[in-house]
Amino acid sequence: MAGGQQAPRTAATAVVADPIAVVGIDCRFPGAGDKDAFWDVLVRGEHGISEVPAQRWDSADFHDEGGGAGRVNTRFAGFMSDPDTFDFEFFGISPREAAAMDPQQRMLLQASWRAVEDSGTDPTALAGSSTGVFVGMMSSEWATLHMSDYAGLTAHRGSGNGYCMAANRISYHLDLRGPSTAVDTACSSSLVATHLACTAIRAGDCDSAIVAGVNLLLTPALSIFYTQAGLSAPDGRCKPYSGDAVGIGRGEGVGVVVLRRLSDALADKQPIYAVIEGSAVNQDGRSNGITAPSRWSQEHVLTAAYAKAGITPGDLTFVEGHGTGTTLGDMIEIKALGAVHAGAERKQPLLLGSVKGNIGHAEGAAGIAGLIKACLALDKRVLPPTLHADSESPQLKLAENGIRLARGPVRLPRGTVRGAVSSFGLGGTNAHVVLASAPAVRRPVESGGVGVLTVSANTVAGLQRNIAAVAETVDSAPADRLGQLCHTSNLVKSSLRQRIAIAVTSPEQVRGELRRLLRDADAVAERSKRPTGKPRVAFLFTGQGSQYAGMGRALHEHCPPFRARLAEADAALRPHLGCSITEVALHGAGHDGLDVGETALTQPALFALQYALATALGDLGLRPDAVLGHSVGEFAAACAAGVLALDEAAALVAARGALMQALPRDGAMIAVQAGEERVSALLADEPLVSIAAVNGPDSTVVSGAAEPARRVAAALAAEGVKTTELVVSHAFHSPLMAPAAAGFAEAAGPLPVRASAVAFASTVHGRFVEGAELDAAYWSAQVTAPVRFTAAMAALLDRAPTHLVEIGPRGVLVGMAARAGLTGGAKRLVPVPGDTATGAEFAATLAALYTDGLNPSWAALYTEGQRTPRRLPGYVFADAERFWASAATVRGTVASVVTKEQPGMPEVGQPQPAAQAPALSGDVRPEVRAVLAVVAEIGDYDPADLAPEAKLHEDLGFDSIMVMQLSDRLTEVLRLPEPIPVTELLPRVTTVGDLLAFAGEVLGEQERNR
Amino acid sequence: MSTDETFVLSTGSALPGDPIDNTALAKRFGVNAQWVELFVGTRTRHFAVDLGTAEQTHTLADLAAAAGAQAMSRAGLEPTDLDFIVLATATPDTLMPATVNVVADRLGVDQVATYQLQSGCAGAIQALDVGRKLLDDDHRTGLVIGGDVCAKHLVLDRDTTGQPPSELINYVLFGDGAGAVVLSADAEGATMRLDTVLNRFTGLGRDPAQVIHWWGETGPTPGVQAVTEDYKAIEERVPGMAVEVLHELLDRCGWGKGELSFLLPPQLSGRMTQRIVKDLAVDSATEVSVVADTGNNGNALPFLQLDALAPQIRAGQRAAAVAIESSKWLKGGFTLEGL
Repeated sequence: MAGGQQAPRTAATAVVADPIAVVGIDCRFPGAGDKDAFWDVLVRGEHGISEVPAQRWDSADFHDEGGGAGRVNTRFAGFMSDPDTFDFEFFGISPREAAAMDPQQRMLLQASWRAVEDSGTDPTALAGSSTGVFVGMMSSEWATLHMSDYAGLTAHRGSGNGYCMAANRISYHLDLRGPSTAVDTACSSSLVATHLACTAIRAGDCDSAIVAGVNLLLTPALSIFYTQAGLSAPDGRCKPYSGDAVGIGRGEGVGVVVLRRLSDALADKQPIYAVIEGSAVNQDGRSNGITAPSRWSQEHVLTAAYAKAGITPGDLTFVEGHGTGTTLGDMIEIKALGAVHAGAERKQPLLLGSVKGNIGHAEGAAGIAGLIKACLALDKRVLPPTLHADSESPQLKLAENGIRLARGPVRLPRGTVRGAVSSFGLGGTNAHVVLASAPAVRRPVESGGVGVLTVSANTVAGLQRNIAAVAETVDSAPADRLGQLCHTSNLVKSSLRQRIAIAVTSPEQVRGELRRLLRDADAVAERSKRPTGKPRVAFLFTGQGSQYAGMGRALHEHCPPFRARLAEADAALRPHLGCSITEVALHGAGHDGLDVGETALTQPALFALQYALATALGDLGLRPDAVLGHSVGEFAAACAAGVLALDEAAALVAARGALMQALPRDGAMIAVQAGEERVSALLADEPLVSIAAVNGPDSTVVSGAAEPARRVAAALAAEGVKTTELVVSHAFHSPLMAPAAAGFAEAAGPLPVRASAVAFASTVHGRFVEGAELDAAYWSAQVTAPVRFTAAMAALLDRAPTHLVEIGPRGVLVGMAARAGLTGGAKRLVPVPGDTATGAEFAATLAALYTDGLNPSWAALYTEGQRTPRRLPGYVFADAERFWASAATVRGTVASVVTKEQPGMPEVGQPQPAAQAPALSGDVRPEVRAVLAVVAEIGDYDPADLAPEAKLHEDLGFDSIMVMQLSDRLTEVLRLPEPIPVTELLPRVTTVGDLLAFAGEVLGEQERNR
Repeated sequence: MSTDETFVLSTGSALPGDPIDNTALAKRFGVNAQWVELFVGTRTRHFAVDLGTAEQTHTLADLAAAAGAQAMSRAGLEPTDLDFIVLATATPDTLMPATVNVVADRLGVDQVATYQLQSGCAGAIQALDVGRKLLDDDHRTGLVIGGDVCAKHLVLDRDTTGQPPSELINYVLFGDGAGAVVLSADAEGATMRLDTVLNRFTGLGRDPAQVIHWWGETGPTPGVQAVTEDYKAIEERVPGMAVEVLHELLDRCGWGKGELSFLLPPQLSGRMTQRIVKDLAVDSATEVSVVADTGNNGNALPFLQLDALAPQIRAGQRAAAVAIESSKWLKGGFTLEGL
């Protein structure tokens, strides 16, 4: 009994579904290595059908035009290129495990990574999220080849098999905690997976989903089946809806889409290909035979999907049909479509196509191929042509059914355009998905500003490949989009271990730097870093004397967070100064006859700039581990340490400057090239002169009444000491400042006590101080006390800073520290290097810290109009290593040999990966050498590839099974009386280096015991 | 949302390389820098040719695509948002393919209508006119570009000493560049409204005052100069035509001269433009001219003027533009209102 015309008994109450956005796509199909190439194949009306490659099976062995038993009636199908390549190292999978894995799993991993990137998301950012994984597949010919080889069944081969593992492996490697499931409904698998993913998102099971379909032809089994069932096209080509159609041609490929709620995608300004408005899945039930399609069920699945989407059939402009090119299948599909669409109200007939004409019937991946085609069509507003439309089958009576094939690329109309995708499974499970074009959202760019372009990879060679890909995009992008590209590169391409960053000021400059990197393979190795930890940063706040009119102007123009923070400081200072300090500092404005060179305004101006610079860096995620301020620099340092609030510090600095300004201008300050002790000796008899600053072992500043100060300097000069009188209005940090100090104690009043959030190296005491010590008395004493920079800097080095960042209008203290030999090897960074600063130096500071391991909160660097993710090319994986097994390599059931081809010598002119440090150098015990060999053997690595810093778990893919093997083998090669307990072994073998050291220790101990 | 109005969503411009000042030009061609300054009035221009190596650095397609891309990104448009592209130029890179199609390819635009207008100084106005008329229910947004690259006419190894000013002037008058606007039938995100466009041939029975020849496989016609201009006729007729155009534009809009906030006068050269502005006598309006800095880059000029106007014009402010093509005496002009 065939299925009747009546509607299914479950009432399909029409509750319109929440829209789901398709935000990311990656795919590989016959004739198309990536998404863009796939579009080219589609829109140009090309196909990717070819003769069976020798790599798969010997088509001569199986070919028989008559299609006899065990034979195939065709030598053609749609094959993708390079299904055997895999970047095992990127995913931390050992070559041994990679070789023992269904290649479909490997293809899915790489495509999933790229699809997530395509959505403007860093795949590592999804770690721990509830992202779901739904994989449609209908065959694992790899399993057919391997799972009956009982003797060869290893643990890895077990986990390398299985539809579930195909989905679960994506969840595992991307650390996704949402539902993870494989779907097999035969030919409709991946469209059913799409439906289930949408349902899961709507149900709240996950917030986003990776939906995939995959199919790989490793054996002729299904080709034989199609031949025997009378469904196989002799020319291997599906000709959907064509009078020339003679059956199915098989195809393969992998397709991945990333789904999110439309509202989430819009909120994150993600690029959107299309919107899934609704979908439905049903079953033929008891149709005319289990493999026979049912027109009634197909009709029902269409109308159910339209009800869910809240649309009428007439709202659709096109349908991407199932269209396999079998006479019966096409006929039933058209009847069902016609029943729903023939009477629909629309200007033009419903356009119909099927991607199977281009790539063949990709079985488990067929649904996703159609979905991707429809998404790209809506995104590009062009429906690709239906191949073989010129020989449309008259039997189908398309016109009567209100249907027209796309005879060429069709420009889709303006506004919201809708299309739907059909996919029908061999066993009767049908799916129909309704798509709409993405909502039109215009996001005009804002040009200007500075940015940082980041690229990261797992190795130097990986970095080179990916710099090339990003460079191509940067090269062809309009100059105004540069900020958006930088923002996207930070968002999507910054988190892997080998890092490079370019501070970007103009298109010419960044293109030039990228070209230089591409030309010179060594440059990438030299400029990129593989940071092992996070930077420990010390902020050094410059003192008076560093000011100039126009300081911070370029940064103010180009750096939004600096601008915002400077405005805060300006507002805090204004009540005390009666003027805008921004005008004074940036534009050289005067107030009450004073300018930025006069103490009353110099001190607030420096403070404002320093506060803004330090907090802007904080906004970007850079928190100092320690701070040090030179004289007036201590106020902004105290703010950065959380000891003073902005308002408190602003009041203090304004008062301090005003009090000092009020003093008579009768002092002098003289820098002398001599140590503190030598100078002190001369000061005993000079009550009006004191040491103002100790800036280095041979760098001291004396300060005080002009005449005695010059006398002291002259005495030193007579001894051959170089002296330089500084251009100052007052003798700061001298006894002449005593009246200001007294007034300041009063002005400072009681200050709230706060703990210091970061280490505060005091230049008053020349040591670290606690927050409580920074009271009114401290600030008052600071006015006359010498600035003990050398001692404070020496104390600061106890915290082993990796970077010293000058917080001031020019680089002063970092140079002073270097001359005093007090950098401790830390890198010196100057975000505002003086009056030639362009703003790029700030970006360069961030770039340097990023390559050294900081993960900045990049977004703050950009204006709102630049914070729009643009699509960047997907990660370019290594393709040198190949792992392959097919009917061509596996004979019978016992010899399931997996071949791992070693890459040949790199071609001349090809960049070569930088040589890694070998794990073993010099003289080592043969036993230790043997341990390395064991690691290599267990993972199937070349021992030369095993770097000492390679982590066994993360980098080399050592799982629990492999660690057990390692333990056993260590007992053997180290000739231990009993095995090392795994619990003891584990904490000692994080890296290869650790393991070798551990082996050395064990051997040493044995010898001692002997 | 559907109206008969035409809106300008954004503008863009592209000038090749660094500006070349008169001193540099004097050094290269042996002309007198002061003479250029005083009698031509052009301070700088950009060339799509490296004056040192004589190598072409930019094609028209490069410049037109860059200007178009800038206009598109400023409007927040993707390639698929465009329904047509119009390019006006006197100097296409090749006769085939028409440069507009190379530009479409560069911009990632496919399956749309493209048009290229073979045109001179009034070409930008013709392109705006065509663009405006292409807008309908199905064509809501289009890119209109104008640009010229005179690389083919810059003979860099020529000894110019002793050449008469009439020949020398071609070296100092012109420049290269491209400009673009996005036109839309929808007001969303628009910065200006294009009110009226005047585009008229008036050369019946008149000799051309500007001729640029082109040659194919047979090579140059002996004795024929590739570029000739009748400067006397230009100086005589253009100012009067400009005045006529301005009055016609104002009459069409029903505006008085005093209501104009901005005037975009014809951009022949710094000097000629100054003279014409005087004749146009619109004292209330701010002049928006670029030619003194960009050189006469033909079809790009009105777009570069629009690009300079866009950040200045405020809601309700009015602007009028005039362009005259002396090759065969074309009148051109348009009016705009800030939104």
